[in-house]
Amino acid sequence: MTSILATTEQIIDITLFICFFGISLSLVLLVYRIIVGPTNADRAVALDTIGINLMAVAALMAIYLLTTKLNDVILLIGILAFLGTVAIAKYLEKGVIIDRDID
Amino acid sequence: MYKPNDLILRTTTSLIAFILLGFAVYLLLAGHNSPGGGFVGGLVTSAAVILMYMAYGMETIAKIIPVNFRTVIPVGLLIAVGTGLGSFVFDVPFLSHTFGYFNVPIFGKIELATAMLFDIGVYLTVLGVTITIILNIANDQ
Amino acid sequence: MSNLAVLPIIIPLIAGILLAFTNTNVRLSRALTQILTVVNLGVVSFIAWKVFQDGTIVLETGDWIAPYGIVLVADSLAITLVLTTNIIATAAVFYAPHSLSIEKEKHYFYPFYFFLITGVSGAFLTGDLFNLFVFYEVLLMASYALIVLGGNKVQLRESIKYVLINLFSSVLFVTAIAFLYGVVGTVNMAQIAERVQEVEQFGILTTIAILLFFVFGTKAALFPLYYWMPKSYIVPNPVISALFGALLTKVGIYSILRVFSLIFVHKIDLTHETFIWIAGLTMIFGVIGALSTNNIKLIIAYNIIPAIGFIMMGIGTFNQAGLSGSVYYLVHDMIIKTALFLLVGVIAYVAGTSDLRKMGGLIHHYPVLGWLLFISAFVLAGIPPFSGFIGKLLLLKGALQGDHIFIVIIALLSSLLILYSVMKIFIRGFWGEENPLVEKRTTKGFIAPIVFLLLFSIFIGIGAEFIYPAIDSVAVYLLDPEIYIDSVLKE
Repeated sequence: MTSILATTEQIIDITLFICFFGISLSLVLLVYRIIVGPTNADRAVALDTIGINLMAVAALMAIYLLTTKLNDVILLIGILAFLGTVAIAKYLEKGVIIDRDID
Repeated sequence: MYKPNDLILRTTTSLIAFILLGFAVYLLLAGHNSPGGGFVGGLVTSAAVILMYMAYGMETIAKIIPVNFRTVIPVGLLIAVGTGLGSFVFDVPFLSHTFGYFNVPIFGKIELATAMLFDIGVYLTVLGVTITIILNIANDQ
Repeated sequence: MSNLAVLPIIIPLIAGILLAFTNTNVRLSRALTQILTVVNLGVVSFIAWKVFQDGTIVLETGDWIAPYGIVLVADSLAITLVLTTNIIATAAVFYAPHSLSIEKEKHYFYPFYFFLITGVSGAFLTGDLFNLFVFYEVLLMASYALIVLGGNKVQLRESIKYVLINLFSSVLFVTAIAFLYGVVGTVNMAQIAERVQEVEQFGILTTIAILLFFVFGTKAALFPLYYWMPKSYIVPNPVISALFGALLTKVGIYSILRVFSLIFVHKIDLTHETFIWIAGLTMIFGVIGALSTNNIKLIIAYNIIPAIGFIMMGIGTFNQAGLSGSVYYLVHDMIIKTALFLLVGVIAYVAGTSDLRKMGGLIHHYPVLGWLLFISAFVLAGIPPFSGFIGKLLLLKGALQGDHIFIVIIALLSSLLILYSVMKIFIRGFWGEENPLVEKRTTKGFIAPIVFLLLFSIFIGIGAEFIYPAIDSVAVYLLDPEIYIDSVLKE
C-alpha cells in the first residue's frame, strides 16, 4: 500500500515537473507572439492564452503546495483574463470599449 | 456603415455578470479567514459592472444602476471609519475588533466578526474608486 | 490605553468624508469645514494640555501590545507640532473661501484639505516607522490632488515633477524600512531604538540612516535635494501653497528630528556632523534662490529652504540649546510661513501680478497689508522681540556650545539676507509709483486669518516666558531616548 502511495507521489512530482516545463515553454512562445504578432488580433489571442496558462500555473501550484486556498485565485484569473479579452476584442472591433449609447 | 454584432457578448454578459456578483459576495464574506476580503471583492464587483458597461453602453447602465459611484466612495469610507469609532462607544483601544458565533436559520452556526464591517467599507470604497476611474477614462474623448 | 491619541487623526478624516457628500453645496461645506476645524483645534489643545500635564499618551491600536501592534504616541514633541498644524489649518480654512473659486471648492478642496491634515497629524503621532510611511502616503495623495486642483497647464507640468520625485523617495523609504527590518527585525520605533543599541552592526545601520536621511531630506527640501520644491509649491492657489509650505516640508524635518534623536544616535560624530554642513549649504543656497527672483511667491517659497537649514543646524549640534532651538524654530516657522504665503497670495491678488517689477505703490490703497508684511518680515528674520529671534538665539547658543563658529557666521549672514529678500517685496511692491491700470480690489476677509497667525507668532515671541519651559522640556526629552522607549514599551 505504502509503495503504491509513494509511486503515485513520484508520478505526481514528475507530471508536475513536465507540466511546469511545458507551461514555461508556451509562455515564452506566447510572449514571442505578443511582441512579433503580425496583427493585433494575434496579440489579443496570445494574451488570452497567457491568462489560461496563468490559471494552469495556479492550479499546479495548488497541487504542489497541497492547498485549496488557490482555487479562488484560479477563478479570479479566469474572470480577469476574460474581461481583458472582451475589452481588447471590442476595442479592435469598434475602437471604443465603453460606448456612450449602444444604438 | 458597418455595425458590429455583439449578440454573443450581451447574452454571455447577463449570465457572467451574475456569476461575478455572487463570487464577489463570496470573496467579501470569506475574506476574514481565507483569501479574499473587501478589496478583491470590490474589484470583482467592479469587474462585473464594467462588463455590463461594455456590453450595453453607458446610458443604458446609468438607467439600470442609478447610483452615482462617486458618492459610493465616501459612504464606504464612512462605514470603514465608523467601525473604528465603535471603540469610543465601548471604551476599548481604537480599531479593536471582536467576533462571535451566531445561529442563523438557514446557514446554521456561523462566525461573525466586526472586521467584516470594516471590509464592507473597503468593498464600497474600492468599488466606487475603480468604477469612477474607469468611467472617467472612458468618458475622456 | 487612551483613545485620545487617535482623535487628531480621526476627526479630520471623518470631517473629510462628510464633506465629500456636501461638495455641491458650497455654503454648507464652508460652514461645516470651519466648525469642524475649530472643534479639532479645541480637541487638540485639550490633548496637548493633557500631554504636558500628565506625560506621553500611548495608544496601542486594536489592543495589540506595543512591539507587535501599531502604536500612536502623543508625546510632547508630536503634540506640539499637531497643535501648530491645527492653528495653521484654522487660519487657512478661514482664508480659503475668499481665495478659492467656487469651482475649485466644488471639486473636493475641503475633503482633500482634511485628508492632508489627517496625514500630517498621523505622521507626527505615529510610533511605527512603517506607519509613518503610510501617513506620508496619505498626505502625499491629498497633496497630489490639491496641487492639480484647477488644472492649469503650469500646474500639470509642475505636478508631474512633484509626483515623480515623491514616488521615487517613497520607494526609497520602503526600501530603507525593509533594510532596517532586516537588521533589527521590527518597525516599532521604540523597539528599533532599543535594538540599534544592542546589535553591533554600525556600518549597515549608518548606511540605512543615510538612506532614510536622503528620503526625509527630499521631502524636507534640504540641500542638494530642494530643486523640485520652490516652483511646484507656488503653482497652486495661495492657501494650498501655504499648507504645503508650512506642513509638508516640516513633516520631513520632523521625521529627521525624530529618527536621528531616537534611533540613529550611535554615530553622532559622523551623521550629525554632516548635518551641520548640510544645514549651512541649505541656508546659503536657499537664500541665494530667494534673492535671485522677482516673483514674490517664489521668494517666499525659497525662504522655506534656509528655515529648514536653521532647524537642521539645531539637530546637527544635538545639545539641549540646539534642540530646543530647533523645536522652537519649527513651530515659529510653520506659523510664519503660512502667514507669509497667505499674505503674498493677497498681494498678488490685489496687484494683479506676482512679478515685483510690475508692482508698486500698493501702500496707498492697502496700508494694512503693507504693515502686516513689514511685521512678518521682522518675525521671519528674527528681529527681537519676535519669535524668530528666540529660536535663532537658542540655535546659535547651541552651535557655539558645540564650537561650530562657521555655521554661526553663515546663519547670521543668511538671516540678514532673508530680511533683505522679504523687504524687497515691501520696498519694490509697496513704495514707489502705483500702477494706475490695476483696479482696486477689496481685501476683506483675507486679513483676519493672517492677523490671527501673526498674533500667535508674536505671542510665542513675547510670551517666551510661557513657551520656553515647555520647549525646553521637549529638548531634554529628545536627548534621552530612554524616556520614549520606556513609555512605549512599558514592561
